[in-house]
Amino acid sequence: GGAMSFLKRFPPPAEGVRHQQPDTEAVLAGRTLGAGTLYIAESRLSWLENSGVGFSLDYPTISLHAVSRDLNAYPWEHLYVMVNAKFEEEETKEAPMAEGEEEEDSDDDVEPIAEFRFVPSDKSALEAMFSAMCECQALHPDPDDEDSDNDYEGEEYDVEAHELEQGDIPTFYTYEEGLSHLTAEGQATLERLEGMLAQSVSSQYNMAGVRTEDSIREFEDGMEVDIAPVVAGQFEDAEVDH
Amino acid sequence: VSHSVKERTIAENSLVILLQGLHGHVTTVDLRDESTATGRVTNVDAFMNVRLAEVTFTDRQGTVSRLDELFVTGRNVRYVHIPDERQLQAIHRVRYFGGRDKGRKEFPRAKHK
Repeated sequence: GGAMSFLKRFPPPAEGVRHQQPDTEAVLAGRTLGAGTLYIAESRLSWLENSGVGFSLDYPTISLHAVSRDLNAYPWEHLYVMVNAKFEEEETKEAPMAEGEEEEDSDDDVEPIAEFRFVPSDKSALEAMFSAMCECQALHPDPDDEDSDNDYEGEEYDVEAHELEQGDIPTFYTYEEGLSHLTAEGQATLERLEGMLAQSVSSQYNMAGVRTEDSIREFEDGMEVDIAPVVAGQFEDAEVDH
Repeated sequence: VSHSVKERTIAENSLVILLQGLHGHVTTVDLRDESTATGRVTNVDAFMNVRLAEVTFTDRQGTVSRLDELFVTGRNVRYVHIPDERQLQAIHRVRYFGGRDKGRKEFPRAKHK
């Protein structure tokens, strides 16, 4: 076919190449770019035609990739890559999946999308190609994630230090862990407060599992916990604050 | 799944942990460009990159095709449908992973007579 203007000559990547697949056809929006080698490297995805020209794709621009073996959708098994960018192509486009429908690429409101297909002559390589891409994508997390709950500005969570109780990162304990970290005084306070809670709540809801007959007996073993009814206003301002 | 300390921290402190509970389950993912993918979740990482197997993919024009495996970057995930029977379990998991504050708020305030 005719030359695509975005194709450039460059040397194949030398470092961090997780997978290399020779004899792979590249197709853009249904139009073949020729046969060449696909390089799945940690820094970027590159394809070089046998003549030495090709293109690269940056992982942050790749929305998704997939293995397609559905011959009804496209006649050859391939690695499908959807890119969030525009590539200059020649005017006539024939995308088999679109079936003559106009693509909305002239609509400014719609994000640009380019669909690449990499068709290896060795179909059994598709799994390895897919996995290599997954690994490389994971190396390029989205830097400006607007929705981010993932902002981590603190120090690294030091698992070892935490386990040795030396970590200075505030954390939360499961009930059992937390209990074991209380001093004897703390435990007594906890039991007293739980007792008060049970008293006031059970009188209204008869809540199961908070203070059963059995647990009252347990707590009475060797501990002088005063299970007195709550005096109105006595602990009104108290916060349960461990 | 990479389990670097940082990734574990991110996962445990965000709702990503909900999605990681979906491993092995068939789920529908709505993408940012309005296409959808339904398949079995094989991995969700801390950045919400989702890997699905045995996928039915509906592109934004409505064309349906099948994909053996699909990897969607977290940035392009708009919505993940949690299968109904898992919703209660998922909510349960979030409650108990919530920090101290969340646990505290769930304690009924002692009523005074």
